[in-house]
Amino acid sequence: MNPYILTILLFAMGLGTTITFASSHWLLAWMGLEINTLAILPLMCQSHHPRAVEATIKYFLTQATAAAMLLFASITNAWITGQWNLEFMSYSLPTTLVTVALALKIGLAPLHAWMPEVLQGLDLTTGLILSTWQKLAPFCLLLQINPSNTSLLLILGLASTLVGGWGGLNQNQLRKILAYSSIAHLGWMILVLQFFPSLTLLTLLMYFVMTFSLFISFKVNNSTTINSLSMSWSKTPIISSMVPFILLSLGGLPPLSGFMPKWLILQELTKQSLAPLATLAALSALLSLYFYLRISYAMTLTMSPNTLLNALPWRLPSNQHTLPLAITTSLTICLLPLTPAITALLTL
Amino acid sequence: MLKILIPSMFMLLTTWTSPFKQLWSTILMYSFLVATLSLTWLAMPTDTGWFYINNYMAYDPLSSPLLVLTCWLLPLMIIASQNHLAVEPENRQRTYISLLISLQIFLILAFSATEMIMFYVMFEATLIPTLIIITRWGNQMERLNAGTYFLFYTLAGSLPLLVALLIYHSSMGSLSYLSLTSLPLTCSNLYANKLWWMACLLAFLVKMPLYGVHLWLPKAHVEAPIAGSMVLAAVLLKLGGYGMMRIMIILDPLTKELSYPFIILALWGVIMTGSICLRQTDLKSLIAYSSVSHMGLVAAGILIQTPWGFTGALILMIAHGLTSSALFCLANTNYERTHSRTIILARGLQMVLPLMATWWFLASLANLALPPLPNLMGEIMIITSLFNWSFYTLILTGLGTLITASYSLYMFLLTQRGPIPHHLILLEPSHTREHLLLALHLLPLLLLIAKPELVWGWTA
Repeated sequence: MNPYILTILLFAMGLGTTITFASSHWLLAWMGLEINTLAILPLMCQSHHPRAVEATIKYFLTQATAAAMLLFASITNAWITGQWNLEFMSYSLPTTLVTVALALKIGLAPLHAWMPEVLQGLDLTTGLILSTWQKLAPFCLLLQINPSNTSLLLILGLASTLVGGWGGLNQNQLRKILAYSSIAHLGWMILVLQFFPSLTLLTLLMYFVMTFSLFISFKVNNSTTINSLSMSWSKTPIISSMVPFILLSLGGLPPLSGFMPKWLILQELTKQSLAPLATLAALSALLSLYFYLRISYAMTLTMSPNTLLNALPWRLPSNQHTLPLAITTSLTICLLPLTPAITALLTL
Repeated sequence: MLKILIPSMFMLLTTWTSPFKQLWSTILMYSFLVATLSLTWLAMPTDTGWFYINNYMAYDPLSSPLLVLTCWLLPLMIIASQNHLAVEPENRQRTYISLLISLQIFLILAFSATEMIMFYVMFEATLIPTLIIITRWGNQMERLNAGTYFLFYTLAGSLPLLVALLIYHSSMGSLSYLSLTSLPLTCSNLYANKLWWMACLLAFLVKMPLYGVHLWLPKAHVEAPIAGSMVLAAVLLKLGGYGMMRIMIILDPLTKELSYPFIILALWGVIMTGSICLRQTDLKSLIAYSSVSHMGLVAAGILIQTPWGFTGALILMIAHGLTSSALFCLANTNYERTHSRTIILARGLQMVLPLMATWWFLASLANLALPPLPNLMGEIMIITSLFNWSFYTLILTGLGTLITASYSLYMFLLTQRGPIPHHLILLEPSHTREHLLLALHLLPLLLLIAKPELVWGWTA
């Protein structure tokens, strides 16, 4: 893509998110979300492949619906309460509508159906932007509203963890697996939103770091299916040996840093006397762990005899920038001992 | 404490920076050094209470035998793995050794943890290197299934444990072992408290394993390479027993009624798995099921919560660790020669490898709990305390002892005695490292006859 156009689009994406961050008026927040959506659409269909265009259109339709619902909710709130401020939504109808709209925007179950198909149509880099950057603005809004109904967020959260676990079990396309992993992690974030919002932020940031490592590792190998990952040990042996740790960290196994958000969320849920919910959410993480483990089996823990499984990829010299990958992988694996410091930062 | 932990951590560095020709000798020497230093933990200045305490780690007579076992096992694993890894590229050898060392680090931290969440994190952390050892370096296709079973059985049991610990923490404020004895959970007889009791114990019961949830163990033990089998049998199962002993303190008074089904399941498992051993054709599978059998006895001993029960359980854990690991090493000597685990393919070995037959004999005798070995001491104490708890358990434990003796004898006779099969025309003579390995397993066992006070825990 023309570098100038790319600059404008990326800048507009950043602008959209920043407008939403900075807003206290509902119209401004909605505007930021719409700018964000519009800016990413050309990025998504830049390859002009029909599948990419299909993904773009699906994304546009769902995000536009969500934004429209958001607008209607804020108008209703303005009609009832007479003001447009973000924090002062005290009536249940607008609040619930906003929560559902934002759930559609980020892809929580049961409003998740667009996510795997959209991610599947994109290339890995755009998929990364979709999974990480695009979640920031809706979460910013979710963190600021007072939830009207305790159970709504809990149902959304639990359903997302379960759907994210079960949905990914039958997949061998990596992008769909990453989509379901995203849904599951978003479920965890929403579970604790009304009790300890800083934990939601922590989970979001940890998820960003972990999924960035994973996306970029897959991109370095230029592979989009599990089968094509099996040759990565000959191309990039060190990345191949690190990916199981990234995957197990995404699955939430101690002593990797992915355990930290899950542990803190479970602690908060048990403090709120929601122990059965905590147990159910923890066990649903095992579902996701199964398909993460399967990827790590294919990539690192078995050596495929190959040349029969897939066409041998050319091992061209790579000018990938692996420094961000190195940083995020280190953070994904080694951050757990810093949990006290991070919890102290959360309560600032 | 730190003088063992920090050298262990730096052994990781040594693995990656040693010149390749000296790698195995260097690591072996350092791990022996660490193991020798760890023997200082056996000298307990006070018979009760904790010693060598710092903020995060402490030792008491319960954890120090297990820690010494852990540290002792690393050089043994190194000796055992050297042969089958010799054909691998250099970096993979270094990776394998790093996995073994990291496993030891996590185990040291687990056994010496003072706070239950730290114990939990390290308990789970041991899963990752073991999983990688089993699935990457195992020899058959079934190893992937074995790894999945291993990981998921253990995690499904331990995630409720995490929630249960967090519940206890939110109501009692502290999860430190040092204060657990003075903070029993005052619980009414609600159903939820029973679920909490179950959640606390399930992880350790799966790890031990208890008979009903033991399916991961034969798979994992059989498919693992020798170092994996050794560490699984010798130490990782004992993590379950150790955890159970630690958490029993806060589970009173619910345990009095709620433990009945598990005691019965454990004792029934002794008999069932013993009977399965009599019908096994796979040597490693036989030893794996014998592990389940012994650990069933340990589980029953812990669940009745008497001093003799705990003492017997601890002694049996240590003795079984050494014995089972020795048996796996012996099975590995067979495997390296015939590349098969089928028993009948390598029979009559006493004629071919007579010195190895001595080790087979000693290990089989240890397995069937011959006096005066500590195996017998542990089993007798558990059986006696079970008899005190209820007369009828004697039927199960007596029968179990009988079946244990039969399958140990069966294993010995089948592998050592009888005619040599016709197809065995070229077997390598026993290497000195194999003799060394088995001597290092069985000598501590024999030495423990003289002073079992080192390993019998709190009972002074």
